Amino acid sequence: MAIVPHPRQIQTAVVNWLDERFPFTKAVDEALYQRVPNYANAFYYCFGGMVFILVAFQLLTGIFLAFYYVPDAAGNPAAAYTSVKTVIMTQVYLGWLIRGVHFWSANLLIVMIVLHMARVFWTGSYRAPRELNWMVGVTMLLIILAFSLTGYLLPWDTKAYWATSVTIKIMGGAPILGPLLETVAQGGPTLGPNTLQRFFAIHVFILPALITLLMYVHFRLIRAQGISEPL
Amino acid sequence: MVDFGPDSPPSEGSHRVISSEVQPRSDADGAVSRPVTRRNFIVWYLAGLLTATVLAIVAPILVFIFPPEGQTKRQNLTIPLDQPLSGMENGTATQFKAPREAGFVMVDGGGDNAPGKIAFAAYAVKDLAGSVTVFAVNCSHLGCSVAFNADAKRFDCPCHGSQFSIAGKVVHGPALFPLSHLEWKEGPGPNQIQVTGLQLPGIG
Repeated sequence: MAIVPHPRQIQTAVVNWLDERFPFTKAVDEALYQRVPNYANAFYYCFGGMVFILVAFQLLTGIFLAFYYVPDAAGNPAAAYTSVKTVIMTQVYLGWLIRGVHFWSANLLIVMIVLHMARVFWTGSYRAPRELNWMVGVTMLLIILAFSLTGYLLPWDTKAYWATSVTIKIMGGAPILGPLLETVAQGGPTLGPNTLQRFFAIHVFILPALITLLMYVHFRLIRAQGISEPL
Repeated sequence: MVDFGPDSPPSEGSHRVISSEVQPRSDADGAVSRPVTRRNFIVWYLAGLLTATVLAIVAPILVFIFPPEGQTKRQNLTIPLDQPLSGMENGTATQFKAPREAGFVMVDGGGDNAPGKIAFAAYAVKDLAGSVTVFAVNCSHLGCSVAFNADAKRFDCPCHGSQFSIAGKVVHGPALFPLSHLEWKEGPGPNQIQVTGLQLPGIG
């Protein structure tokens, strides 16, 4: 009769093998098994976590969208427009759902961020010694707004084009640096394919890296300082 | 750190001895000047080197994100007209559009228009004295395309009701600035005009 190991034995063997090489169990225990104070059980202490979950949704659905999205605004209809409106929305299996989740998570994200900030403000959690974490949070808010701006242009439909046109015009109205900013944002003298190209690069390469880094800093600071006590 | 043996003073103490030799001096006007020591010379030297290194990396990146000049090279765009310029009656205007993937460059303008901005259509205008001018189609208020009103011999903006004379001057607000001029010359053929513009790959 062949000896079949119990699944538990396989698990122990794998974990032991890993733990001999790096203290994974210890690291996971330290990260997960944290006592949450009773006052932090109130529902409004969840908003930050919801923001995190929504950002995770965004990263995940964003990667899937990037499989089919084409950042090319040349021609009429442009490949960017067709890749969203035809390929992702009608041809790809569940493409409409992935885009829908990306779209609605983006909208909810703003709502949850506002609620989270309101909670932090209401409970005075921005005060010493947590000022730095407030600053990190505000920086992340600006990054999320940059995400919203650059992402809005990507479908390259009329709404996207003119909304971005208005935003860039506001940017161009800034004193002294305005025209320079406008040219750099547009990637040329008018809103066109160059604009889409650089908005795409910012949206999928620069901002996700920044937000991931800052979220890590945000959570490490929370762990270091603990959840602030209520009023 | 060098070990001077059990008799040598602790390093912090020896540092204090050095710093006491170089006390900051006050000038007559109260400004504090520190004598240059080997240590702070090296610190400043390294800090300068570090700053220069950072600048050497950041500066090219800033230039890189600025769109290259090659994409904004001015050139003459040749456009067909509905009628030859010589055949136009005094006090009339004819509209023409920029070719695909190209735009006209405004020479002047205020408000929403500005020198260097792009227009995708234009009017060739023959005034009452018979001289020809070319205006960008965009209203100086918020950039809508103005329409030529042949009866009143003026340009009307459909968006907010601005009116411009046949010479491009504001007749009625809300626009505050005249229409923008375009640089032009007669084309190679009788029904053609050449207007200064630039190629805009992928646009239009």
